[in-house]
Amino acid sequence: MQKINLNSMLPTYCPGCHAQLKVKCLKCESCQTEVTGSYDLPVLALLPELDQQFIIRFVKNSGSLKEMASELKLSYPTVRNMLNDVISKIESYEKE
Amino acid sequence: MKRNNYWELLLNPFTRIAGLQAFGLGLVFVILMGIIGTFSHVRFDGVIDMHLVNQMTFIQSFTLLAIDILSIVIVMWITGVIVSGKIRFIDILGTMTLAKAPFIILAIAGFFTKSPDQTEILKNPGIILNSVSFIFLLILTLPVMIWSIILMLNALKVSCDIKGSKLTATFIIALLISEIISKVLIYKFL
Repeated sequence: MQKINLNSMLPTYCPGCHAQLKVKCLKCESCQTEVTGSYDLPVLALLPELDQQFIIRFVKNSGSLKEMASELKLSYPTVRNMLNDVISKIESYEKE
Repeated sequence: MKRNNYWELLLNPFTRIAGLQAFGLGLVFVILMGIIGTFSHVRFDGVIDMHLVNQMTFIQSFTLLAIDILSIVIVMWITGVIVSGKIRFIDILGTMTLAKAPFIILAIAGFFTKSPDQTEILKNPGIILNSVSFIFLLILTLPVMIWSIILMLNALKVSCDIKGSKLTATFIIALLISEIISKVLIYKFL
């Protein structure tokens, strides 16, 4: 699969105990204002990098699995199964 | 192409080819099997079965193959609908037809096999040991069947998105049911 550069990936799990991380601080690069609190990470940010790339590709292909299959040189059911995996991961994050 | 890719292509080509494309390719193999099998006297009388016979017609050969493919496709499709839900019939039809392709090796091997007479085998099973080509065919049958079964398993996995122990259990049950159905249909129609 051709990689889409997502730059430095946002860490989503604690390297020490593997618990889900929260956003504590946000900073404006322009005026240096900092906002602190405890914010949940968006569901999409919790997904592994490959799944995020898959979603970007899916959106870019206007949600056409057939086009994605021909782009990735994979069969239609394989791409559909990849989407099913992403859906089940999102559903499990939503339940947490 | 890397060695792993070769293995993947041989054992699970369905990640790359499925649906109508797989059906077209599978159909080419099945037609060749029907033609070659008629001349080499190889009878594909079951989803994962074959026998050598003394005589075969084109109609018999193609009817047997049609029964084999229909049995496995219908049973696997019903299995997929029950276990997985949203599946495309064309994926099951294509991948299961292509999964039958390895049997073409046995159809070709039939040309080089001299089968001992069936009645003689029943009287004295040890007579098989006198035919080297027949023993070779028996030995060849095992890897071909295993290859085809692996392809069928991967066909179900890719077409229906079934994984793990659920895949193994449903596949074994579905394969046994389809084998029984094919035998019953062959007994009824031929």
